[in-house]
Amino acid sequence: MSADIDTLWRERPRSRVLRVAVLLAVVLVACAWLFGGFEGADLLSHRRLANLERFLHEIVPQSLRGHFELSGLFSWAWHRLTERGFVAAMRTFAISLCAIVLAAAIAGPLAVNAARNLATAEPFLPVPGTPARERVWSVIATATGLFLVLLRAIPEYVWAFLLLAILGPTSWPAILALAIHNSGILGKLGAETIEDIDEGPLRALRSLGAGRASLAVFAVFPMVLSRFLLFFFYRWESCVREATVLGMLGGSSLGWWITDARFRFRYDEMLFLILLGGVIVLVGDFVSFITRGLVRRAS
Amino acid sequence: MAERTRRPAWIGTRGRVLLLAVLAAFWALWFLGIGPSDLVPNAGGLRIAKRFFAAAFHPAFFTENGDALLPILLTAVWRTVAFATAAVSVAFVAGIVLAFFGSTAWWSPERAGGETSARGPWLFRARVTTYVTVRAVTAFLRSIHELFWAVIFLAAFGLNNLTAVIAITIPFTGTFAKVFSEIIDETPRDSAEALLDAGATPLAAFAFGLVPRALPDVLAYTMYRFECGMRSSAVLGFFGYDTLGLYIRQSFDETQYAEVWSSLYALLMLVLVFEAASRVVRRRLVA
Repeated sequence: MSADIDTLWRERPRSRVLRVAVLLAVVLVACAWLFGGFEGADLLSHRRLANLERFLHEIVPQSLRGHFELSGLFSWAWHRLTERGFVAAMRTFAISLCAIVLAAAIAGPLAVNAARNLATAEPFLPVPGTPARERVWSVIATATGLFLVLLRAIPEYVWAFLLLAILGPTSWPAILALAIHNSGILGKLGAETIEDIDEGPLRALRSLGAGRASLAVFAVFPMVLSRFLLFFFYRWESCVREATVLGMLGGSSLGWWITDARFRFRYDEMLFLILLGGVIVLVGDFVSFITRGLVRRAS
Repeated sequence: MAERTRRPAWIGTRGRVLLLAVLAAFWALWFLGIGPSDLVPNAGGLRIAKRFFAAAFHPAFFTENGDALLPILLTAVWRTVAFATAAVSVAFVAGIVLAFFGSTAWWSPERAGGETSARGPWLFRARVTTYVTVRAVTAFLRSIHELFWAVIFLAAFGLNNLTAVIAITIPFTGTFAKVFSEIIDETPRDSAEALLDAGATPLAAFAFGLVPRALPDVLAYTMYRFECGMRSSAVLGFFGYDTLGLYIRQSFDETQYAEVWSSLYALLMLVLVFEAASRVVRRRLVA
């Protein structure tokens, strides 16, 4: 009995790559903490703690300092909400909506050209195309895949920062930044979904003479729509979250009013708006959760 | 309800959801008061755009003053990686602990009936309370963006590298906890059930029946999250921390666009190299 267990243990699947990866990860974590330039003592120094104490004093709404009462807090919060909170929340949702729809519109065509089963010379036919055409399509698929990586490698915040200087302070920099980054992610996820598709119906259509475009629009699209919608709403959640922040660069979403409060040293308003950002994210998550349930039940 | 044959609808639930999303986006454009015409930059913006994109083909290797850029950027890259690594290492552990209490698998509610009668309902109630509390805490941690935490810490403490790590750690812990508990709850339970039937305690069944099967997904997600962490830590540079974002912002504000591209290429290389490496590891994990 114990001999069998020993044999099993000795013959367990092992991978050198994984061992090296785990070792590297451990070394990296150790190096990061040792040489990352962290000064824990400084954080607890007298000066820092005095600063913290002042901050904790200033996050209490100005009118309530000294004589705190709950009804006063509620009326203060309501005033902040009607003053700018509701508008900021609506603008944040609006930006995230435009961004995710734009991202999906960009990602769709890219995913079709990055999927290894559709982006071949003769998709869904048992015979390969001519070597030259096969090579061209392999280049197209690889290039599209690489382009998708480039789209998602740069963070939204950096895109928004660069676009803001070029386009000026409208909501477009934030929308485009979110759309660029998320189209890279949706394109990758979409391509993977297409690669996992059931090929039977597609082979049948292809043998009846359907071309690449009609396959993509009339067969692949309805087949992957459910999965794609789930990804769409997952990414929308992340768009809402990022959209709250992007305003910090220039006036469009909630972040703008947070920066504004920060530079006026009104930390009470700043903290309130940050908490509002949390509520916005949770509302977005909830709407997405409901809609994903709807899509899942329909498919 | 009796089955009836119906004509196929022109548009089903999925189509309706899609249509609604597109209509909502158009409403949003109207609400924001912007249109396609706002996408055309003015003369000043156009000049910046031309100079900026022209600089993409000749990134700087030296600063204005003639200092070599490479050591500066390598330090910034290391800081970016170090912040992300430190944050993810803590968030991973904290996320696993929270995910454990935020998943139903280890106390298996479908089996809790017997346990309830044997050990009293208070244990069951305590576990449900833990579950709900942990889920709520997780949602709160996740909901506030790392840049907002950074802004709070900057106001509370001033600039200190450790606060950047904590700022990333807090929301990442929430996300790890949420995703890990979902992975655990979605992992097939048959091996754990078999262990339970053989007389194992729920905790042992969890540790030896469920965790090993969930591990590949957990690790793959952790690598993805680490990539996100590097992006976040780069962006924290915009707020004054010594990571890549600091150099992107400074160079751009000084209109040194060639230097901006050097930083952008450094960030791009960092993400691309990590993504290539993680693809190799992930292939071994899933196989």
